[in-house]
Amino acid sequence: MFRKTLLKLSVLLLVATTILTACGSNNAGGNTANTPENGAAEGVKKEVTFTIGYASGDPAGKKAIADSIKRFMEANPHIKIKDLSETTSSAYLDWLKTKDAVGEFPDLVEMRDTEVFADAGKIVELPEDLRDIFSTLPDVGGKIYNAPLTLTSPQGIIYSKKAYEEAGITELPKNWDEFIEIQEKLKTSGISPIVVGGKDIFHMGFWINKFLIDQVYANDPDWNSKRTAKEVSFTDPNVVQAMTDYKELFQNYIDKGWVSTGDNQTASFLVTGKAAQLFSGPWMFTQIAEADPNFEFGFYAIPDREGKVSVVGLPTLAGWSLSTEASKDSEKTEAIKEFIRFFFQADNYSKYLETTNGIPSTKENINYEATEQMQEVLKIMADQNVTKSLMINNWWGDNLIPPQFRNWYYKLMQELVLKDGDVTDYMKQADTEYDNQVKANAM
Amino acid sequence: MATPKVTAEASFVAINKKKKWQPYALYFILPSFILYTLFVIVPTLGSVYYSFTSWDGISSDVRFIGLANFVEIWNSPRVHNALKNTMVLTISLVILENIVAILLAVLVDKVRWLSKVFRSIFYFPTLLSGIVMGFVWAMMLNYNFGVVNQLLDKLGLGAFAIDWLGDPKYAMLAVILSTVWKGAGYYMIIYLAGLQGIPQELNEAASIDGANGWQQFRHITFPLLAGSVTVCMVLAMISALKIFDQIAVMTDGGPGFETETLTYLIYKVGFGELRQGFGTALALVLFFIILIITVFQVKVLQKREVEM
Repeated sequence: MFRKTLLKLSVLLLVATTILTACGSNNAGGNTANTPENGAAEGVKKEVTFTIGYASGDPAGKKAIADSIKRFMEANPHIKIKDLSETTSSAYLDWLKTKDAVGEFPDLVEMRDTEVFADAGKIVELPEDLRDIFSTLPDVGGKIYNAPLTLTSPQGIIYSKKAYEEAGITELPKNWDEFIEIQEKLKTSGISPIVVGGKDIFHMGFWINKFLIDQVYANDPDWNSKRTAKEVSFTDPNVVQAMTDYKELFQNYIDKGWVSTGDNQTASFLVTGKAAQLFSGPWMFTQIAEADPNFEFGFYAIPDREGKVSVVGLPTLAGWSLSTEASKDSEKTEAIKEFIRFFFQADNYSKYLETTNGIPSTKENINYEATEQMQEVLKIMADQNVTKSLMINNWWGDNLIPPQFRNWYYKLMQELVLKDGDVTDYMKQADTEYDNQVKANAM
Repeated sequence: MATPKVTAEASFVAINKKKKWQPYALYFILPSFILYTLFVIVPTLGSVYYSFTSWDGISSDVRFIGLANFVEIWNSPRVHNALKNTMVLTISLVILENIVAILLAVLVDKVRWLSKVFRSIFYFPTLLSGIVMGFVWAMMLNYNFGVVNQLLDKLGLGAFAIDWLGDPKYAMLAVILSTVWKGAGYYMIIYLAGLQGIPQELNEAASIDGANGWQQFRHITFPLLAGSVTVCMVLAMISALKIFDQIAVMTDGGPGFETETLTYLIYKVGFGELRQGFGTALALVLFFIILIITVFQVKVLQKREVEM
C-alpha cells in the first residue's frame, strides 16, 4: 500500500483541459472585481448591501463560500454581503421556501430547484455579461438561470485500503458480481461492508440513483418524460431489476443502523473502521481527511453486470441565481455581478474547488492541488467510455419530475427494505403516486 | 354603629348599573380585537380559500380547483396511512398519558415525604419544548451512540441493541413513550387538584366499612375524578392529534412513512413538496376531525361525571 502522503501528488492539474470539451482562454470578467463600473466610481463608492443564501449541509463547502464572501468584502469595502445561510435540520428547499414565506428570499441564492423558482417568478435569467465565464450553461426553454458553482461530480465507492487489505481484496471490481464478491469478503472479515447515511434522505439518492442510472437512465435519458406520458412504468423489468438489486444490497451488506445514521457521521464510520466503504462523492474527501489525516482511502466507480460504468456527471440546472427582487435594483445587481466575477476568479475559485473537491465550471483553466482520490474522479469524468447521467430529480425540461416525488420515492424505497416488501408492489405504488403528483401539479 | 340597610330594590339597581353598556370599554377591547383579527381570523379564513386552490406556496399563481384537493385526500393512500398513524398515536397517548398521570397524582398525593420535590420532578419534562425533548430522546435512542444501546452493550446485551427510531417495529413506540414522559406531568397536576378536592371523610368511611386501597380508588376516588378525567382526556386528545415536534425531530415521519402523522404530512406537503393548497385542505380536514372527536368525547365523558 502506498502512503497517503506520497500519493497526495502535488500535481498542478489543468483540470479543465482534462475534463472539458469546450475550452477557451477567454477570461471575460475575470479581473473586474475592483473595477469601477462605467467609470463612475471616482471618489467614494456608494455602499451597497445584498443578501446571500446557499446550501450549508457540507461543512467544507459552507466554509469555502463563507471565506470567499469574507475575501470579497475585504476587497470591496463598499459592498456588504449579509449571509443568511444557516445549518438546519430541514432540507435546503424547505429552508428557501421558509425564507421566501417570511420575505427574506436571498438576493443571490444557490439554486437547486431552478425550474420551480423560475416558474414562480422568484429568480431571473443570469445576466448576459456573466455567461462568458462558464464552459457549459444548461438552459431551460432557452433561458439560462444559473452560474454553476461546479460541474456535477460523480459518486463512487470510497473505501478503506486497510479494510480491503485485511479482507484479502487485491483488485478492484470489473463488474457488479465482482463487487458483490468484495462485499462478501468484507463481511466475512468481520467488518460492516458499507455505511449509509439514511437519516438524511438525500443520501438515499446516491444508491437508489446508482441502480436507476445503470439500468434505466444510461440507456434512456428521456425515461422521465416517457414516465410522465405513461409510456413507461416503474413496474417495467429494468426498474424492478434496479430496485431489486438495491434491496438485496441493503438487506445484506449495509451497516445495521443505517436509517439512524446521518450523512455527516459516515466519514467517522469509515476512519474508525466501523465500516469499510461509503458510496458518495468527492465532497467527502476533505471531511474524511480532516477526520483522520492518516486514513488511507481510495475511490472507484461501481461497474454494472456487463462491466459498463455509468455515473452522475451531466450538467444540471444549479448554481448561483439572481432573485427577481434584487434584479429590480441596479446597484444591487451590479454588486452581485461583482461578487460572481470575484467568486469565479482563478485564485478565489481554486480555493473553493480545492476545499470541496469540485470540478470547475469556468472556461478559464483552474489549477489546484488534486489528491489521489480526486485524480481518480477526474479520470472517470474524462473517460469517454463512462456514461454520464443524472439523478432522477436533476433532469429538466420534459424530463423534470414532480418536485415532491423525489423524497417520497426515497422514503418508499427505505420502507421497501425495512419491511422486506415486494418490489413490484412498491413500484405500483410509485406509479400511482407519480401520476397523482403529475395530475396535481397540472391543476 | 348602625349598618346601612341594603334593600332588594337597591341591589337590583346596582346590578343593572353594572350591566349598562359603556362605550369606552370598546377602546380596551379594540387593540386585542384588531391584532386577533389580523393574525388569527383573517389567515384562518384565508386558509379556507387556499384549500380550494392548487397554490404551490411560492408563486403568485393561485388557481381555484374546486374540491380536487379534498377528493385527493379521500383517495390518497398516503393520507390514509397518516390518518392511521395519527389514530394509533392519539389513542395510545390519551390512554397512557392519563393512566400514568393518575398514578403519579395518587402517588404524590399519598406521599408526604418530599412530596413537593416529586411533584417538581414529574412536572419538569412538561416545561421542555417538544423540539428539545425530541433531540434528547433521539440522542438517547440513537442506534450508533445512544445511551440506551450503550447501556445494553455494557450489560453484555449488545446483541439486543435496537435501532429504536429506524426500525418500523419500534419507531412509533419510541415516539409514544417519549411523549408520555413529557406530557404525563401536566395532567398529573390537574388530577392532583381533583384528588385534593375529594373529601377525606369518604375514604375514611369506606375504610371503616372494610374497603381496601384499590376498592377505595375504584369506587370513590376514580368516579369523583371524572371531571378531571374529562378535561385531561380532551386536552390529551387534542395535543396528540396535533403532535408535530417530536415526529419532526425524532423520526422525520420515518422510517419510510411509519410515523408520518397528519400534522407532519401537512407540513411536508405544504412546505417541502410545494403544495400549499393541498396542505391547507388537509389542515382543514384535521380541524374538523379534532372538532368532531372533541364534541363526541366531551358528551360521552360528561355523562359519567359525579356531582359532589
